[in-house]
Amino acid sequence: MAYTPQYGPGTSVVAENRRRQMNPDVQLEKIRDVTDEDIVLILGHRAPGSAYPTAHPPLAEQQEPDCPIRKLVKPTEGAKAGDRVRYIQFADSMFNAPSQPYQRTYAEMYRFRAIDPGTLSGRQIVECRERDLEQYSKLLLETEMFDPALDSCRGATVHGHSLRLAEDGMMFDALQRCVLGDDGIVKYVKNQIGEPLDRAVSVGKPMDEGWLKAHSTIFHSLVGTSYRDDSEYIEYVQRIHSLRTKYGFMPKEE
Amino acid sequence: MAKIERAQKLFLASLKEKFQGQDIESENTSFYNFGGVRQSPRKREFMKASKAIEMDRGISMYDPERCHLGGIPMGQRQLMTYQVSQSGVYVEGDDLHFVNNAAMQQFWDDIRRTVIVGMDLAHATLQKRLGKEVTPETINEYLHILNHAMPGAAVVQEHMVETNPGLVDDCFVKVFTGDDELADDIEPQFLINVDKLFPEDQAEVLKKSVGKSMYQAIHIPSIVSRTCDGGTTSRWSAMQIGMSFIAAYRMCAGEAAVADLSFAAKHAGVVQMGSLLPARRARGPNEPGGIKFGLFSDIIQGNRKYPNDPARASLEVVGAGVMLFDQIWLGSYMSGGVGFTQYATAAYTDNILDEYTYYGMDYLKDKYGYDYTSPSPDAVIKPTQEIVNDLTTEVNLNAMEQYEQFPTLMEDHFGGSQRAGVMAAACGLTCSIGTGNSNAGLNGWYLSMLMHKEGWSRLGFFGYDLQDQCGSANSLSVRPDEGLIGELRGPNYPNYAMNVGHQGEYAAIVGGAHYGRGDAFCYSPLVSITFADPSLKFDFSEPRREFAKGAIREFMPAGERSLITPVR
Repeated sequence: MAYTPQYGPGTSVVAENRRRQMNPDVQLEKIRDVTDEDIVLILGHRAPGSAYPTAHPPLAEQQEPDCPIRKLVKPTEGAKAGDRVRYIQFADSMFNAPSQPYQRTYAEMYRFRAIDPGTLSGRQIVECRERDLEQYSKLLLETEMFDPALDSCRGATVHGHSLRLAEDGMMFDALQRCVLGDDGIVKYVKNQIGEPLDRAVSVGKPMDEGWLKAHSTIFHSLVGTSYRDDSEYIEYVQRIHSLRTKYGFMPKEE
Repeated sequence: MAKIERAQKLFLASLKEKFQGQDIESENTSFYNFGGVRQSPRKREFMKASKAIEMDRGISMYDPERCHLGGIPMGQRQLMTYQVSQSGVYVEGDDLHFVNNAAMQQFWDDIRRTVIVGMDLAHATLQKRLGKEVTPETINEYLHILNHAMPGAAVVQEHMVETNPGLVDDCFVKVFTGDDELADDIEPQFLINVDKLFPEDQAEVLKKSVGKSMYQAIHIPSIVSRTCDGGTTSRWSAMQIGMSFIAAYRMCAGEAAVADLSFAAKHAGVVQMGSLLPARRARGPNEPGGIKFGLFSDIIQGNRKYPNDPARASLEVVGAGVMLFDQIWLGSYMSGGVGFTQYATAAYTDNILDEYTYYGMDYLKDKYGYDYTSPSPDAVIKPTQEIVNDLTTEVNLNAMEQYEQFPTLMEDHFGGSQRAGVMAAACGLTCSIGTGNSNAGLNGWYLSMLMHKEGWSRLGFFGYDLQDQCGSANSLSVRPDEGLIGELRGPNYPNYAMNVGHQGEYAAIVGGAHYGRGDAFCYSPLVSITFADPSLKFDFSEPRREFAKGAIREFMPAGERSLITPVR
């Protein structure tokens, strides 16, 4: 029997947004343009136009062992080229940022290949081969999974997700890597690790409150959708917990 | 689940004090204009102290304005003060690091330097093997000698070096028994009087559990256990016990019966506070990793002082537990770090966990008729999965909504691990107090974690992935190596051994199950009696208040060395 992913329970808009982001059959709405060069600048791993540093020779030039797994798994472009593994890491405000840590991990696992995500409360990192990373980062920055004011790329000193917002609506960042300009556009003046950029990188205008509420993937009773109101979601969590309690990790109905 | 009204929110006073002049319900504030670290009087004090040290030793030290983030000091947002919960005392966060807090150090010293040693084996040896008479008079004489010897004084030998009493003044030995007649014959200075220290019903149970046996509650000098380790405690005490028996009962120093007394004092009759850890943890007995949660709940005496408020009693265990297990054990013993304080203090500051827990108490009463102010075995609710699910769901949803409705509350607990520990603790305590079952409490903890993760799409740091997303499956298991009842679990239980923000709360959940039933003890009546002793430096009935005293520098610890150091 073919497995059909359900992506998660719930009748609320939050639940629906979560399923949309996870489902690779859904074309995520493109909101803004961020050039390839700008992506490279924000990531801060290499200078734009420079060659990709490598961790090993291209696979085609290596003597690959006779391994059935290697025959089964097709390498990504980055793996083929021997790229080193680098990262992008996001901090997401709890005030209705369109993506949130576990949501990012789930969506990335469905949409991307050859990744290693890590999920914490204030940040979510995904690591992969560098040229694959740049491609994935484009989707993460250009689509409805990103808001310039409430999601930001932070390699270290990530904190801000749970704090009140600044008066201009921006999430707190001790390093102020991105700033809201007088023109209403958010610009990165430092890369994700906090090194100053030679030129500012624009990532567009912050989305408005209505859009954020409609595209949020976090329950929030003050600024968005109350968790309590999605009873299907809550019953689902209770059910998983009860079955795990009774039957360990192989839950099935009595 | 059904939301209940609760007009009195215990955390509001703290929020108003911490965020003075601000709307605590607003979603916006200003940043980057606080003057960095200089906004904090304590950080300014540190900078000044460091300057003097640098001048003295010629080596650079604390330099937060240069070394932090390459010149961006912390304090780009408000550096908050904290109220130690239910103490009314506001402190700087730094004052709750155990290095900066003498009460926290003494708390751990007082546990590590304690062993309980039964007297029955020794008395049997004296009476049956040697034919000596043991009477209340001889016991009193022995205790007089022992209180001379235990701090480090000679009783048999000639020309011995001894310790300075001014350095070891916290060292003493008392005894307790369930035999009222015998207790009456013991000099009051040497007796832990169960009747006087405990509520009547608790005293009756404790005395019945101890029976006619007599135990010594031994506290070796803090300075000894600090210089050596927890494994020293039983050895130090056994040595002095042996010498004191020889002196009190006029024994031959080398006769074979002495070996029996030593064996009893070192092994057969000893109750350690913490058990030996396996080689990969490399700690001897009486170190924090070996303290069972049930035993820890007996060390904390909130239930003696607040027998009709199991929530308060449990919250005292939380505060004490996170300080010991997170700040000292995981934070320094195990990880070697300094940052764990920030996780731990969330559970005992600003009355936030307190508010969530009392919401659970109100819900228990409102929906199930359990009145937490009248705890008894007959009052608790039968712990079914459905009830655990219901209690946890409501308490957890309420906690999430409070964080959402008060953005300054969320900012107070700015880390996911802080919130996760606090919300799950409130759920676990509600379940354990209301059902009188520690494993039901642990089960509630794990449902809280799953609900939290799904609601906010985040939880704590990586470690929560391991422990809290598989905990549902082991919280009701008692199979060897996969589970135990909560009372017998401890910081070294599989999966518990690495995660900050859990162990102190687990201990409280275990304690809560017994406080909710009105039990006199959780695991060991001996431990419960031993730590009721008012002669201890640290008052174990009010650990949070004691930590607050330490924070404002009003707690006088033991084991100070000023007698033997140059005057400064």
